[in-house]
Amino acid sequence: MSGRTVTGRRLALMGAMAAALAGFTVGATPAKAATVNLLETGSSLLYPLFNLWVPAYTKANPGVKITTQSTGSGTGISQSISGVAQIGASDAYLSDALMKMHKGMLNIPLAISSQMVNYNVPGLNATALKFSGPVLAGIYSGKITKWNDPAIAKLNPGVKLPDHAIVTVHRTDGSGDTFIFSQYLAFSTPSWQNSVGYGTTVSWPAAPGAIGANGNPGMVNAIKTTPYSIAYIGVSFKQAIVQNKLGEALLENKDGKFVALTIANVKAAAAAMTEKTPADERISLVYAPGADSYPIINYEYAIVKAQQPNAAVAAELRKFFTWAISPEGGNAQHFMDAVNFVALPPAAAKLSAAQIATIK
Amino acid sequence: MSGAVARGGMSAGSPAREAARLARMRRRRAWSVAGWVLCGIGFGMLGLAMGWILLMVLVRGITALTPTVFLEVTQGTGGGLLNAIEGTLVIGVGSMILAVPFGVAAGLYAAQFSHTMFARAIRFMADVLVGVPSIVLGYFGYVTMVEGLGWKFSLAAACITIAILCLPYICRTTELALSQVPAAMQEAAFALGAGEGLVAWRIALPVAMPGVLTGILLAFAISVGETAPLIYTAGWSSYMWNGALVGSPVGYLTYAIWAFINEPFASANALAYAAAFLVTVIVLLISVTARLVLLRREGAR
Amino acid sequence: MSFRRVLAVFAGVLPASLIAVLLFLAVYSWPAVRFNGIGFVTSTSWNLGNTYGSPILRNGVQVLPGAHYGILFLIAGTLLSTVIALLIAVPVGVGAAIFLAEAVPGWMRQWLSFFVELLAAVPSVVFGLWGYAVLVPLLGHFIYPAMGHVLGFIPFLGGSTGSGYGLLTAGIVLSLMIVPLIAATLRDAILAEPMVVRESAAALGATRFEAVWKVVLPGVRKILIGVTILATGRALGETMAVLMVSGNALNYLPPNIYSPISTMAAFIVSQLDSALQDPTGLAVRSLAEVALVLSVISIGVNTLARLVLYRSGLKAGQV
Repeated sequence: MSGRTVTGRRLALMGAMAAALAGFTVGATPAKAATVNLLETGSSLLYPLFNLWVPAYTKANPGVKITTQSTGSGTGISQSISGVAQIGASDAYLSDALMKMHKGMLNIPLAISSQMVNYNVPGLNATALKFSGPVLAGIYSGKITKWNDPAIAKLNPGVKLPDHAIVTVHRTDGSGDTFIFSQYLAFSTPSWQNSVGYGTTVSWPAAPGAIGANGNPGMVNAIKTTPYSIAYIGVSFKQAIVQNKLGEALLENKDGKFVALTIANVKAAAAAMTEKTPADERISLVYAPGADSYPIINYEYAIVKAQQPNAAVAAELRKFFTWAISPEGGNAQHFMDAVNFVALPPAAAKLSAAQIATIK
Repeated sequence: MSGAVARGGMSAGSPAREAARLARMRRRRAWSVAGWVLCGIGFGMLGLAMGWILLMVLVRGITALTPTVFLEVTQGTGGGLLNAIEGTLVIGVGSMILAVPFGVAAGLYAAQFSHTMFARAIRFMADVLVGVPSIVLGYFGYVTMVEGLGWKFSLAAACITIAILCLPYICRTTELALSQVPAAMQEAAFALGAGEGLVAWRIALPVAMPGVLTGILLAFAISVGETAPLIYTAGWSSYMWNGALVGSPVGYLTYAIWAFINEPFASANALAYAAAFLVTVIVLLISVTARLVLLRREGAR
Repeated sequence: MSFRRVLAVFAGVLPASLIAVLLFLAVYSWPAVRFNGIGFVTSTSWNLGNTYGSPILRNGVQVLPGAHYGILFLIAGTLLSTVIALLIAVPVGVGAAIFLAEAVPGWMRQWLSFFVELLAAVPSVVFGLWGYAVLVPLLGHFIYPAMGHVLGFIPFLGGSTGSGYGLLTAGIVLSLMIVPLIAATLRDAILAEPMVVRESAAALGATRFEAVWKVVLPGVRKILIGVTILATGRALGETMAVLMVSGNALNYLPPNIYSPISTMAAFIVSQLDSALQDPTGLAVRSLAEVALVLSVISIGVNTLARLVLYRSGLKAGQV
């Protein structure tokens, strides 16, 4: 082997690398000075809606590019605080401690969402099983371990429940779904409030066989592939639940009624809570009073820094959010219907608009 | 045959002992056959698993490969993978640009000055660095660069993290290749008055080049196949790379596999399989090329 | 500057980056190490505390009320999945190595060996994809219920056979990822054993398999031990494939072999964004402590492997 051929090959390699590099620089069309890049990350519940919004919005506003990412509300919160993402999508508002620590964070509701409790029990998926907060708390604490447990049977007279172990599925990522689900358990069950509490991530008690899943999609896939499992899943995945013929539960509300997740029931719960919403809009809508109120609903937040690094980004954010909450724009009925969300009530939209105006 | 030899050597003995010996022989033969069969099964299981994985990736991947995959960027959970294909290559090339000079230099030092303390330290540290799990490097990258230095999800954070990951592999293969360069060649050059630098650059490195290239190619394959460290350094982007080193995230194929197989939508799953197909094909092609480079060197010897 | 100095500066980047990573982990996790104490590795409870409560001061560290970090379940999950992977991978790897080195004609050996080595090149996430899409449903719906039925009387093999996500599945996927390393290294070692060893065994009346099994294999024992430890190191730090098939169990020890688990490496991926929810930052620092523990174990195992292999005369960089 002679040195010359090696040198030749080395040159060839260098040439190839240079060509590849040149190819990239040509391939990547240099960003136009006017284009603003926005990164949205967080809630997998808001993700399907953002995926509908972004193409519609960027078509009309070619000066802005928005990347969407389904991670989890936890990521949405932390990355908007750190500035890694401009828009943090979250089903949960920031805690008092976080608000105090990071001044100038905004919690802007964009729409109202709700959460299903779903299950995969062979033979019973077409039956709407009834669950109460305390029974779900018992299941998720590992105290109720079988589907035919007397506590479940009592709520579902006449239903033939299988003698099979319950596989609980919870989120592993920081999640607004965990936040509102654990709030439902905490508000309805004092023992859960005192032991586990609520949060975007909670210390799940040891229930045998419990599975952790990543994001709402992971939850759907987990119960789809696991018979006798139960999970809490954001309503924007209702289509996937229906397609896969999985069960959807009726939940007991504060007035002791078992209600289904319908647009009317979500609106009833929202109406009961809108008046109580403070100016910074950080409030839980879970376990609202009223006979028709569906118990697990929430504001879908965009977590945003009020102080943006430059005016162009701030302007694009204001413009986008204003579009998003307007009934002619992002809150239009066809968008809401596609993901089973409910548009912001006018009073809440007004508060959101006031917050949007403070983005500088 | 071993049996014939044994029988020939030990023909004397009573008929009873002879029968016992034959029985023992048969038993040993049977054990040997069973041993071969078990070894064959071991290999068979390995081959079966490999075949199964490749088959799954090929079959589901090819059915998912449409022109859209190569022509369009990702839109939510649909569209194409052009952004990810570009990102994977940019991250791979970028991390090689960072890792190759330092990795080759470390290998060169370890081989040419192999008895110095520093060379020993390099060898030891390279082995230790191989032992650091890749996710730990990703975590390091996230906390120091993405958040600490405020680079956000970015090409720079991704490339530096992957470069650290690849350094020890390049270093070790370079050193191994250099250690096989005949000492006589270098001594002859020294005798002619060449300096250390000249000998390293003009004699040792060129001769060892196929080995060094193999190492670089394998490191490139690692960068294409990595996921865990990139999730927290490159982030994900559904647009083409905008040319910025810091400040904006980059898409890459392995993310598409991990994130989109998890979605309950057929379009997203198809993208995941398409991405798995592309990643596997790229990595295997690189491995085959690396192998050929090595074989040619051995053939030339 | 002399050539040597310049080279040393460039070469120094490798040691420098390793030191930077380890130093960073140690310094960054220090508050967590102080707060968590020894309970970190002896108790099973990863609890951020009340993330919507106000931070309080404990042991001189700002923490959320109720915060407690114990990762025994992660250590157990990591070690158990690795042990299962080794139990599968070592016999299969040894068998495949003997088969490749002794039972296959030379021209075929090269191609078959190459095929095995390709398996080592397949990325972790593709193994994960296969495990997730093919293995989990197959095992969870058919194999595990049957196993539980037939082998249920053996401790750890009975009880609820779960969903297919879990310890055994993770072990199987891990074993596939380390078998090629064991098989390829051992094959080379067997081929390198001098022919005369086999011939002498044959002359003494041994069958060919006996010659391989009783004479050649003991001769490469040290390499087998070394590469097994090296494979252990790989399995300990493996992330994506485990993440996708382990079931991500939180806060409980696996009651049987089918139960969901989580490993330290997978936990770092799945929990980083949750940990960032903690306004006191203790959760992220505790995660750094997980990374530190994992790195220490993994580096220790790897160094041990290198020592064994070095003493067996194998050149570094060959594995």
